[in-house]
Amino acid sequence: MLVAATERAQERVRMGSSSMIVCRRSAALILAFGLFTACASEVVRHPVTLRSDASAERPRIELAQTVTVESSSGFTRELAGGSVWGFHGSIPQGSVYKRVGGIFTIEGAHFHEAFLVISGNRLVGFYLPVERAFSPSEPITLILK
Amino acid sequence: MRKVWLAALLLVAMLGGCASGPKFETVASSITPVPSGQARIYFYRSGTLGAAIQPEIRLNDSVVGKAEPNGVFFVDRPPGNMEVVTGSEVDRKLTFTIGAGETRYVKLGVGLGVLVWRIIPELVDEPKAKSEIADLAFVTTK
Repeated sequence: MLVAATERAQERVRMGSSSMIVCRRSAALILAFGLFTACASEVVRHPVTLRSDASAERPRIELAQTVTVESSSGFTRELAGGSVWGFHGSIPQGSVYKRVGGIFTIEGAHFHEAFLVISGNRLVGFYLPVERAFSPSEPITLILK
Repeated sequence: MRKVWLAALLLVAMLGGCASGPKFETVASSITPVPSGQARIYFYRSGTLGAAIQPEIRLNDSVVGKAEPNGVFFVDRPPGNMEVVTGSEVDRKLTFTIGAGETRYVKLGVGLGVLVWRIIPELVDEPKAKSEIADLAFVTTK
């Protein structure tokens, strides 16, 4: 009887230490996840001057298909097929188009309203109207209607 | 027994911090239009996740309200550049522009931080926002 009780006690200790290990691992995972989500990098920004008096080659553009774009912070965003964008001005990197009938933001450490910057048929980045800055993205060819 | 107590505590924590007020859809038709020369910004938080965390919401450095779970409120401001900051564990900013007569919707999302939940402001399109705020409690601001 004493032997059985001792074995039971030893088993409890073994189970206790293994659940401690699981607890420590879980805590480490939660901490790592928390640190990752808390430390998103800021989007790259270059100050620019918007020329709103510039003439537009295309006053409005409409995307023919949905595309996924990646901002400089690594976050991705979808540009919806059928979405319409109106000419808003120009910056040295290209023509600036603002979403019509909706909003568009990019994300890094913070969220920023953003307009598209298009050079030719290629999206080259975003114009951040509040920050008055250009934020580059992976260049991508847009299929327009 | 211990589990029951924990569940009860969790429930109280979740429900205790919810916004109170009439359901937004019942008062939506009586809300005054955007005043001339002004812009309107709605703030809302749906769900009870992280309900204990209710930071102040600052718009261009002025406190305009709190991130109350299941609550919605609005403020009218002169048009221009806007910066929304929620002051929980880590400041998360949202920047956007708004013109006269326009309305914007800022959703106060909840994310997991290092130690506590974080409130993250994000701009939302009008159709999505309208469907999400219909059932929320309308909180009047000062």
